[in-house]
Amino acid sequence: MLNRYFRELSVIAVLAAVLAIMAVTAPQFFDGQPLLSRMASAAPRLLVTGGVALVILTRQIDISVGSVFAVCAVSAGALLGAGWPMLVVAPVTLLLGALAGALNGVLIAGLGLPSIVVTLATMVTLREALRMVQQGVFVNLPEGAQWFGQGMQTGQLLVCGIVLLLWAGLTWGLRHVAAGRWLYAVGSDAEAARLAGLRPRIVTFWVFVLLGGLTGSAAMLSLVQAPQVDPSTGRMLELEAIAASVVGGVAITGGRGSLIGVMAGFLLLLCVTPALTYLGVAAYWDKALQGAAILLAVMADGWRSRTGRNGHRG
Amino acid sequence: MTKSPIPRPELVLLLLLILEVVFFQVAGRNFGTAANVTNIVRHSAEVGLLALALLPVILTGGIDLSVGSLLGLCAVVFGKLWRDAGVPWPGAAALTLGLGALAGGFNATLITRLRLPPLIVTLGTYSLFRGLAEALTRGTDAFTGFPPAFLQVGTGQAAGLPVQAWVFLAVLVGLWLLVQRTTLGRSFRAIGFSPAGAEYAGLPVARRQTLVYVLAGLISALAALTYTARLGTAKADAGTGYELLAITAVVLGGTSIFGGVGTVAGTVLGVATLGVLTNGLGRVPATMSHAAELSGLLTGGLLLVTLIGRRLAAAR
Repeated sequence: MLNRYFRELSVIAVLAAVLAIMAVTAPQFFDGQPLLSRMASAAPRLLVTGGVALVILTRQIDISVGSVFAVCAVSAGALLGAGWPMLVVAPVTLLLGALAGALNGVLIAGLGLPSIVVTLATMVTLREALRMVQQGVFVNLPEGAQWFGQGMQTGQLLVCGIVLLLWAGLTWGLRHVAAGRWLYAVGSDAEAARLAGLRPRIVTFWVFVLLGGLTGSAAMLSLVQAPQVDPSTGRMLELEAIAASVVGGVAITGGRGSLIGVMAGFLLLLCVTPALTYLGVAAYWDKALQGAAILLAVMADGWRSRTGRNGHRG
Repeated sequence: MTKSPIPRPELVLLLLLILEVVFFQVAGRNFGTAANVTNIVRHSAEVGLLALALLPVILTGGIDLSVGSLLGLCAVVFGKLWRDAGVPWPGAAALTLGLGALAGGFNATLITRLRLPPLIVTLGTYSLFRGLAEALTRGTDAFTGFPPAFLQVGTGQAAGLPVQAWVFLAVLVGLWLLVQRTTLGRSFRAIGFSPAGAEYAGLPVARRQTLVYVLAGLISALAALTYTARLGTAKADAGTGYELLAITAVVLGGTSIFGGVGTVAGTVLGVATLGVLTNGLGRVPATMSHAAELSGLLTGGLLLVTLIGRRLAAAR
């Protein structure tokens, strides 16, 4: 048990240590309302991170999520502004994200093109198309769109609740549904998976669609938290998602990792900035430490695999 | 596969470049003037250097996402050495090149010693190098007022060409000799096709990989110097996003992202295609106001079309 989940447990241990230090030195970090606000604003990005983690599990990569996120958020804002009801806009946004994911999926799984270059191209194309259409203009949301028309606190709880529910579903599905196990099979060895009767290309395609759908949902859940949509939203989201996945123990070579670890990795990276601020380290060290965290995590992996103790497969 | 003197992707790209030039010459204002050509060369030099730096890395089946961030870090360190430590600029430049090589060596050590995937190692150093640049400047500090002799590197001319064109040409010739005229270059391709096969064939795979990453770091530092000299300012955000442009240029030039296939000529054509596109769109009245967005959009589209086209051609 300990050895099987060593990677996840060590991230959770580091996270717990950071939180414990904060509890002693800066208890105000845990004050109710600011903490809830921070969690609500980060929660949508956790969904994107989960989707990216699944893509990495199947031995692919996606660096276009930030652009897809922005396109979804701006489109949803425009539709809401045009008077569409929230109950229609939400599924439409989700579908739009899924459509963008399907485009990546067709190019990668259908044509067999390398995912890093395909998603680099879609990242640039979508971002620049959006810039061209929007010219940096913020989209104003109508009255009542913010927090789904509820109060701020209710809205924040609602956002966190939806994300946790979806996350629980993903975590459970990845472990206990056959399709979840297919991701590990394809990510470990696509050819072996094919010989075992799976269809790796179909699996890969749907993973990208799922990531797109999650990104669309995240855009929707993030949109309701502000009165306006910034068209440059979602920049660097792809890096945050990949970094959190890797720190959380997902192997970039596919087939290894779990969503529990990813969540711990996400929270750990999320704590770095506020922890630094509370501990009096200037914020401009933030990015360097994020980089160091990624490197330390993969170095630990490298050292472990050299000593022959590989992590578990889900 | 039929053997032709020029590999096909390069030929297609050359045709595209010629089309671009003809189009902008006709539709654009003052596109073909000597001043504008100089302008294109000056603005393409840094991305061009980074693309050349990436070529050997990608040939070995690796990737280096940290080159743009390293450019930023080197620019800041150069500025700090010169202004705060009082090192004369040629000395500061030499130390900066050393830092670039060292940073490349750091990437290489993690990749070869710990056998970590290059994508994730250089993603880590992408954040780390940029973060160090931000930390060193506290996010806002900028270095200016460099001596005129140094600024000449970015704004001056030598023998009728911009100085950085000579820098670029020197690196270009050096890399061409290395990649296409030596057994070393052949070994990069062998490693890209099959690292295990190369190992069994007796190639020192780890040493060769170290060489390409150190070289990439060194050239990134060189790009940092021409960048700083061109703008006259060194800031932590120097070269943001350049790694993606450089990768785009390399892939457009016919290099396989999986390694083993690619040429210096193709890479240079890729850089030229991007440089001419960005500049040209800014000179056509109809596209002038949206030149940056449109060139990004077209670049992304071009990359997709190129990939799909090549895949379909290979399947035939």
